[in-house]
Amino acid sequence: MNRYVKANPELCMGCRTCLAGCAVAHAGENFFYGDPDSFDFNPKLHMVKTLKLSTPIHCKHCESPACMAACINGCITIQNGVVLLDQEECIGCKACMTACPFGAIDMVTLTEVRLDSGEPKIVANKCDLCHGIEGGPVCVDVCLTGALTLVEEEDLNDMLERRRVEAARALDAAIFE
Amino acid sequence: MALKEIQTTCAYCGAGCQIIFQVDEAANKIVKATPAKGRTNEGTLCLKGRYGWDYLNDPGILTKRLKNPMIRKNGELVEVSWEEAIAFTAENLNRIKAKYGPDSIMVTGCARGPGNEANYIVQKFARACIGTNNIDHCARVCHGPSVAGLLYSLGEGAMSLGVHEIEDAEVIFNIGYNSAESHPIVHRRLIKAKQKGATIICADPRVIETAKMADLHLQLKGGGNLALVNAMANVMYTEGLMDENFIAEHTEGFAEFAEVIQKYTPEFAETICKVPAEDIRKAARIYAGSKHSVILWGMGVTQFGQAVDVVKGCANLAMMTGNFGRWATGVGPVRGQNNVQGACDMGVLPNNYPGYQPVTSPEAKAKFEKAWGVELSDKVGIQLTRVPQHVLGIEDPEKKLHAYYIFGEDPGQSDPHLEELRETLDELDFVVVQDIFMNKTIQHADVVLPGTAWGEHDGVYTCCDRGFQRIRKVLEPTGNVKPDWQILCELSTAMGYPMSYNNTEEIWNELIDLCPNFAGATYEKLDKLGCIQWPCRDKSMEDKGTSFLHKDGVFAHPNGKGKFYATEWRPPIEKESEEYPLSFCTVREVGHYSVRTMSGNCRALRGMEDEPGWIQMSIEDCKALGIKTGELVKVINERGWCMTRALATERVAKGATYMTYQWWIGACNELTVGANLDPIAGTPEFKYCSCRVEKIADQAWAEKYLLTEYRELREKMGVKCIGEQKVGGVKAPAVKGGN
Repeated sequence: MNRYVKANPELCMGCRTCLAGCAVAHAGENFFYGDPDSFDFNPKLHMVKTLKLSTPIHCKHCESPACMAACINGCITIQNGVVLLDQEECIGCKACMTACPFGAIDMVTLTEVRLDSGEPKIVANKCDLCHGIEGGPVCVDVCLTGALTLVEEEDLNDMLERRRVEAARALDAAIFE
Repeated sequence: MALKEIQTTCAYCGAGCQIIFQVDEAANKIVKATPAKGRTNEGTLCLKGRYGWDYLNDPGILTKRLKNPMIRKNGELVEVSWEEAIAFTAENLNRIKAKYGPDSIMVTGCARGPGNEANYIVQKFARACIGTNNIDHCARVCHGPSVAGLLYSLGEGAMSLGVHEIEDAEVIFNIGYNSAESHPIVHRRLIKAKQKGATIICADPRVIETAKMADLHLQLKGGGNLALVNAMANVMYTEGLMDENFIAEHTEGFAEFAEVIQKYTPEFAETICKVPAEDIRKAARIYAGSKHSVILWGMGVTQFGQAVDVVKGCANLAMMTGNFGRWATGVGPVRGQNNVQGACDMGVLPNNYPGYQPVTSPEAKAKFEKAWGVELSDKVGIQLTRVPQHVLGIEDPEKKLHAYYIFGEDPGQSDPHLEELRETLDELDFVVVQDIFMNKTIQHADVVLPGTAWGEHDGVYTCCDRGFQRIRKVLEPTGNVKPDWQILCELSTAMGYPMSYNNTEEIWNELIDLCPNFAGATYEKLDKLGCIQWPCRDKSMEDKGTSFLHKDGVFAHPNGKGKFYATEWRPPIEKESEEYPLSFCTVREVGHYSVRTMSGNCRALRGMEDEPGWIQMSIEDCKALGIKTGELVKVINERGWCMTRALATERVAKGATYMTYQWWIGACNELTVGANLDPIAGTPEFKYCSCRVEKIADQAWAEKYLLTEYRELREKMGVKCIGEQKVGGVKAPAVKGGN
């Protein structure tokens, strides 16, 4: 089963430290010393604030990803339990963005990559669970209230076990009340 | 590459987080910042603490770092030697002092990078060298009323409890305080309190993060604070929800107070603050129902023309119910800037010497005269917000201000009614700015003196809950800059009052021995314990400081009693009108800090939010004006205008608007009121005036205007702009909520 990052809105204060952490981690090692206009700053998760709720929205790393099915260029693949998007191969057709039911994919401009026309390249952008980044997912690491957790298959199994026991107890209580 | 680890205190906000920097000493570079297990932050950091340090390497995103002293010659600021700059400044200040007297000079301290030692030195410079109590700082525009109000009610003008205690409170009454934006690390404690079962009451006109998790949200109309707290007191009184023993034994003035609040029935208050009477009753009952009730407040209480009265009103509620003197109990004016508590502690106030010893007290005066070896003035000085009035509002040259020494502040961006402020600066004979970055105020300065930044010097900060903590030098400064205390010592010496210290510890030792409440907090002890909350009176290791104040109900007044006080509610001075139909209020956002010279010069923080900021509006108002989220709009009133982006959000009530004050194109202080100051604290009414929002039909023109203006301003601030002007900020405004 693929892994994914889950948010708990009860702990989220909407501070967006997770977004900043994500963008910094993906901007490369020289981020803090290079020309400030030469790097890309594109968080791969998004903060949503409604009247009663603040929560970041991430890719769910679906088992049968609609984005992957929609991509005509084969840029989206599943590797080691992560749905990955290859920005080098991406042609910016937006099919994945429109296919994703969670709005987890957006289009971003790559400042340093230019097309033949001289225009900067625009590609799809999504959570990669910090693939290849040490200590990731960074969003989980930097969250100051522990609102984000990386969910693995065994966590889901534990949750199922717990829920089933709770359901059985409820049944038990109802019968012997 | 050998890395050195250095622990220091964060330079943003009053939460006082501890950070460990990994430094490549050979390259003089920070490699990484990670959270340390400080008392308040417990191994966590917000985005500013984690990613907000690269302004130290001068990326020139917003403004250039000041690297040489400068003097204005023929209208242009020209780099000069330190000798010339100090001599020129000393000569001019001495000339003005000789001609118009010491009270014709105004001096500020700085609540940000410099630290307590530099603030002690700047007030000593004003008082002992110049001879005036005209010394103040930006607490005047933020928590001044909390200091004044609580000094009156309790005898101590600070948070009565520690940040770490908040999570154990049973009831939190949160009024005019948006912790999620101002102090994420404090908000974390509110979330923990909620998880531990606390009941939260949130009084705020917006649906802020605290309102979202509150058990009761009192969505009052801006300007109704005193009516609300008086009505809560009324309910406690009429329903007998008081701690009568506590009132009898530990307070005075209750009878007169009870008289005033009789009128403030919940029904009467509802007509003013628009909170349903039944909700006011509920709030009062919940608050009075616990002996671990905490009141937290911020700028939503203090930035009104009537602010000190509301602070006293909050203290009244706590005294009525005996909510003082225990763990996780009391009142918390949560100070905004990293060292605004410290600048107050150091006596950077026109009425107090260091340690809150009044300049009007003959004993205090005699003590400081003896220590400093000069005669001092017993005349209370001018408040910072009254500078325009003392420059533009007085004709007689003998009585007005002639010089302004601005240390680490940017009134040209932070103060209300900016047009008037610019006129004031231009009218003054002599303006000195001592700072780390080019800023708006420097455009009007005669002399510029470049100091070292946080991270380039040692010292002590005081965080919001009276916690002294060390700051340590992380990098060697580059450029021809000097520590602030050293600049001031050289200037003082040149003016005829010699001051000389070898390091900050020498300064600290001098000042703690003059302040009984700080006397025990030596560097040695600070290094050992990490943090010491004052009062800490004894130098022995047994005295580890004080987590909560007023133990056993003994208040800090000479007779040990708390003082009740109540008065009538007054409305804000400016009402909505046909021409300006919306209310206008200034607020904070988590990713930027103060006037943004620090955070705006950080790659990640600029990447998150950039010019021209947002105006938060109700969905109904945006619809009526035909404005969509993300569109550029004009915000106008009779004092000025600015351009910003509209943000339609469910979290804002119809008829109200909110902006943050750090933007240049979206400079909301062009609109704020400078006139209706709190009569005691002198704090401006940043939280209420009127405005009109106008749709801009030609969005392409507006976007171009934004880029052109931004570039021009950056160039004025010494940045060499190469290539296209970029504007940062995370996209997808459609899902940007009301923060």
